[in-house]
Amino acid sequence: MHLTKYEEESLKGENGPALQMAYRVLLAIGRISGAEKLIPVEWAHVSGVSYLTIGDYGLEFLKRISSSKGAKFRVFTTVNPCGMDTQKWDEMKISADYADNQLKINSYYQKLGVATSFTCVPFQSYKVPRARTHVAWAESSAAIYANSILGLMTNRESAVSALASALTGKTVLCDLHIEENRKPTKIVRVSFERQHSGRRFKGSLDFGILGYFAGAIVPGVIGFSGIRTQPEIEESKALCAAIGTVGSSGMFVINPSGKKKLETIEFTKKEYNETFSELSDSEDGELIVFGCPQMTLEELYELSRSLEYKKLKKKCVVFCSSKVYEIAKAHGYTDTIEGAGAMFVRDACADFTPLLSSLGVDSVVTDSCKGAHYMKRVHNVKVALKDISKIVKENSSP
Amino acid sequence: MRRSITARCIVEGNATGEVLVSSQPIAFLRGVDPERGIVCDPKHELYGVEFRGKILVFPNSVGSSVGAYVIYRLKRNHKSPAAIINQNTDIITASGCAIAGIPLYDAPKASLAELRSGMQVLINSKRSEVLIL
Repeated sequence: MHLTKYEEESLKGENGPALQMAYRVLLAIGRISGAEKLIPVEWAHVSGVSYLTIGDYGLEFLKRISSSKGAKFRVFTTVNPCGMDTQKWDEMKISADYADNQLKINSYYQKLGVATSFTCVPFQSYKVPRARTHVAWAESSAAIYANSILGLMTNRESAVSALASALTGKTVLCDLHIEENRKPTKIVRVSFERQHSGRRFKGSLDFGILGYFAGAIVPGVIGFSGIRTQPEIEESKALCAAIGTVGSSGMFVINPSGKKKLETIEFTKKEYNETFSELSDSEDGELIVFGCPQMTLEELYELSRSLEYKKLKKKCVVFCSSKVYEIAKAHGYTDTIEGAGAMFVRDACADFTPLLSSLGVDSVVTDSCKGAHYMKRVHNVKVALKDISKIVKENSSP
Repeated sequence: MRRSITARCIVEGNATGEVLVSSQPIAFLRGVDPERGIVCDPKHELYGVEFRGKILVFPNSVGSSVGAYVIYRLKRNHKSPAAIINQNTDIITASGCAIAGIPLYDAPKASLAELRSGMQVLINSKRSEVLIL
């Protein structure tokens, strides 16, 4: 890979240890991809924020980077959710020790110059650049969304490679940054409605199941056929999140055009049911979890409408970013949802917060396939997967 | 004559040791326990196997982008493999090994089928090959 004089110097450590680390990472990625050069990005989205996932050594690493001379984020940078509500954590059974470490991690990112929101749906809170803009997004669900729905160009960055892009303002010109690599490699054909006697394929749960199935078997760009060309935002979000949970695909194309005959994998009632049973291992859950990925304004609007004049019969936690929360509050959505008995957790991640373990529940009900995958593994709970409207209907009374 | 497999050096470093092969990809976050240095996914073929000091061979990694930090934590906990050989290295493994300083090689154009758990191999940054001892 061709490096400029400045990049060479940085690699040797002449511009400080943070940039040296960053260029080492970019160089390694350059080697695996056989790329020619580095290119500028307009936006980095960094994962690796929850203390639950990066631990003491991750914390120390970020401390060292953030305090090294001249280290700062050189492009607009957003970060993933952290492990707790940053404002109300003390009301939420989060230990002081955990909170202390989490706040330290947050402060290191803030010192480097990060946008205010801790979110896995950064496209909800900040202005999205025009299509074909190069960005470097970790958080697989957001990266897949960026490529497939927003038309941005990004690879599925790792926590560390996105950090390197934030520090340098650059990424490696390879894979999904190159137009010809953005074509489907296999088709997953949804032939579901006919076999379900006309039940429509729709909603976050259906799209999540499809993503979990397709992501596990197609490593490259996925082509989907047999679904609407423009799914609803919550459907796309669920599809992206589930693809990202398994496998390594970074993009999909719905109803692709093109003459090339591609291998086609059928997604029928059988595959749907098998994937569903793999993820859902309970009939019901003691705790309702909404917002994996974090809920968007549109979803909070829908949820508030369905909860109007109702009370929830069990505990319910709703995850969203503080920025989306503020807007939803101004519209009155959060008052309705809280009035029904739900609790908001802002700027945190449903899967990687100690909150769920500390609530002491053995089972969870959610609409999220990504949530089901991780909550089982992280919190050791059983998970019931249900459509969001069904969850509200079964668990609320007037 | 000793056999060798052509490999690319992604992160410099030399290593010699016993091979541990996984035919399945590895999900580092929640698939690997960084404190114990073992695969902790019960469905994985290497479930429970310790890989400290081994030359870990797997096709590529999958799953969460935070996996790179798990590789770093393994190293800091002194539970990391001595080196990693992939079929096709992905961004998670490349970036994790780059910050951890774990020697990393891949072999996109060669078959790794010859490598079996228990074999002794040598890898050296200067030579683009995995030497079977």
